[in-house]
Parts: sequence; C-alpha cells; structure tokens
Amino acid sequence: MNPAISAEEDLADADRVLAGETVAFEGIVRRWQGPLVNMAWRYCRDRSRAEEMAQEAFVRAWRGLAQWRRESSFSTWLFALAANVYRSELKRFPTVVVPLEEIAEPAGAAHQYEAIVEQIRCEALRRAVLALPMRYREPVVLYYFHEMDVSAAARTMGLPEGTVKARLARGRALLRKRFPHLNEAAATGASAALRTGREALQ
Amino acid sequence: MKHTTDRKGDRKANPEGWPESRPELQMAAIDHVLAAEEELVPSSGFAATVMERVREEAARPAPIPFPWMRVTPGLVLAAGVIGWGAWQAARSAWPAMQEFAENPPPIPATVLLQLEEAGWVALALAVSWGAWMLSQRLVRRSGLL
Repeated sequence: MNPAISAEEDLADADRVLAGETVAFEGIVRRWQGPLVNMAWRYCRDRSRAEEMAQEAFVRAWRGLAQWRRESSFSTWLFALAANVYRSELKRFPTVVVPLEEIAEPAGAAHQYEAIVEQIRCEALRRAVLALPMRYREPVVLYYFHEMDVSAAARTMGLPEGTVKARLARGRALLRKRFPHLNEAAATGASAALRTGREALQ
Repeated sequence: MKHTTDRKGDRKANPEGWPESRPELQMAAIDHVLAAEEELVPSSGFAATVMERVREEAARPAPIPFPWMRVTPGLVLAAGVIGWGAWQAARSAWPAMQEFAENPPPIPATVLLQLEEAGWVALALAVSWGAWMLSQRLVRRSGLL
C-alpha cells in the first residue's frame, strides 16, 4: 500500500466520519485491519483474542476520532491508541504464560530432527517474549512489529527513544540469557517456518 | 552448566551437544526469528463485525449531559453553609486555643519517654518500608518480577 495514498484516504475518511457518515469508517477498517490484528497477535499470540482486541481498538478509534489532532500521521495515532487498548486489555485479562525461568530450550537432537527442533525453538522464543515483564515486553513487541524501527516503536508507546532503546536492550538481553544456544540455524529455521506458513496460506 | 571446548577451541559445546553462540550471533538470531513473524490474515468477517459494532455505537443515543445549571446553585449553597459552619467553629474555639498555647498543660516525664520510644519505632518502620520499596524497585528493574 502506498503510504501517501493511504494517508490521503485516511484523512478523507476521517473527515467524512466526523461529518456523520459512519459508513466511511469501513475504509479505515479495511486498510488497517491487517496491521492492527497482527499487532494484537504479537501482544497475546492468540488469534481469536487478537481479533477481539483489534475490534475494540477500532471501536475506540471511532469514538475518539475527533481527538486525532492531525499533528501526527493517522497511523501513528491509531497504533498508539491500539497499544493503549491492548495494554489495558492484557492488564484486565492477562495471557496465560509460562514464567521466563521455566521456558527451556529444546535439548540437542538427532540430525534429521534439527529442522523441527529449530522450528520449535523459534516458536518458544516468540512465546518467551510474552513472558517478559511488561516494561520490556512492549518495546520488544513493537520494535519487531515496526520492522526494527526504534523511533516508530517509541512513537507508538509515547516514550522517548532513549527509554525504548534501554528497555529493548534489557528485554533482548533477557531473551539471550534464556536462549544461550540460539544461533544462525534458528534464523534458517524461522525462514523455513515462514515459507511453510506462506505456502499453507496460498 | 559445565561446558567443554571443541577441537577448534573457539566455540564451546554444552553436554547436550549444542554449540554455544557468541552474543552478537545470538542477537542476530533473535532478530531473525522475531522479525520473521508470519503475517496473520484477519478472518473474512472481521471488518463486517467491526462495522456492526460501530453502527450499534452510532445508533446509541448520546449520553445525557450532566445538569450543571441545576446543580450549581445547590453546590454553591452547600459550600456556603459548610464555610459558615467552619468559620463559626473556629471563632468559638479560638479563645480556648489561645489559652492552651499560653499555658500548655505539663506533660509527665513517663509520657515523654514513651513518646520518644514511639518516635524511634516509627523511624525504624519508615526505614524498613523504604528499604522494601527500594528492593522492589530494583527487582522490577532487573526484570526478575
């Protein structure tokens, strides 16, 4: 999606919604449903809950559209609002996670099972992010959601970049400590898992 | 965990046989795994469900505004009565307070001793509470909780 076109469309749709045309909000929902559901998924790793949380974020966005001051882009405002919604939803009903200390790396395996073990290891690492304390979890989630852009993650959280960088470093250090044998093979496993997932979707 | 050095001598392996990575390799691997997240496609009815909720919200009548015009005179009256009552109470208590300030009743030595002890206990409690708060803060910062 071309960001410039999307920004113009968002602006036009927001104006129509504020003028009382509720149906114009559908354009916003269709453009942003993917990013918001994916962001929620990274917060909870539960598909149905991710959709519920994204739905709540859209309803709040509809209610609070008049509060968008247009100083920042619509996406920045929407992501910040969604992050607030997800944070409070997870505070109300926390996800059931295994404590970080109890997440074990899969033990060594025979050569033919290495690919499977790497996939399991990748999934364990993704789930381990949810076991991080909230102050480190959110920067990690948003950093990778925003394709490793610290400033975008900082804008979404409404925090200075320095604070986000420090928390991110701490969160990643905790993960590294928990997964001391993670190496480039994990990256290969992740790519393979991603390919398999995409093929399944197609 | 006990580690053994392999033949090349630059990488270590644990007893299970996994090579232990260097920190920068581990970071790169973490980046690869977490950035290569599979894209989730929202279910087909998602947008429709959201719009249904939005329409419900839109159809709901606007909340009734708080009746400030009706409530304000009552609030002003109540504030006036409370203020007048406080003023009267202070005026009637003023001579007694002056008398007390000029001629304070003598405090027995035993009571003074007890007060001093209570002060030390309060100080000890405050220091303990402060230490507990500090330790909680440090534990939270370290990510152990």
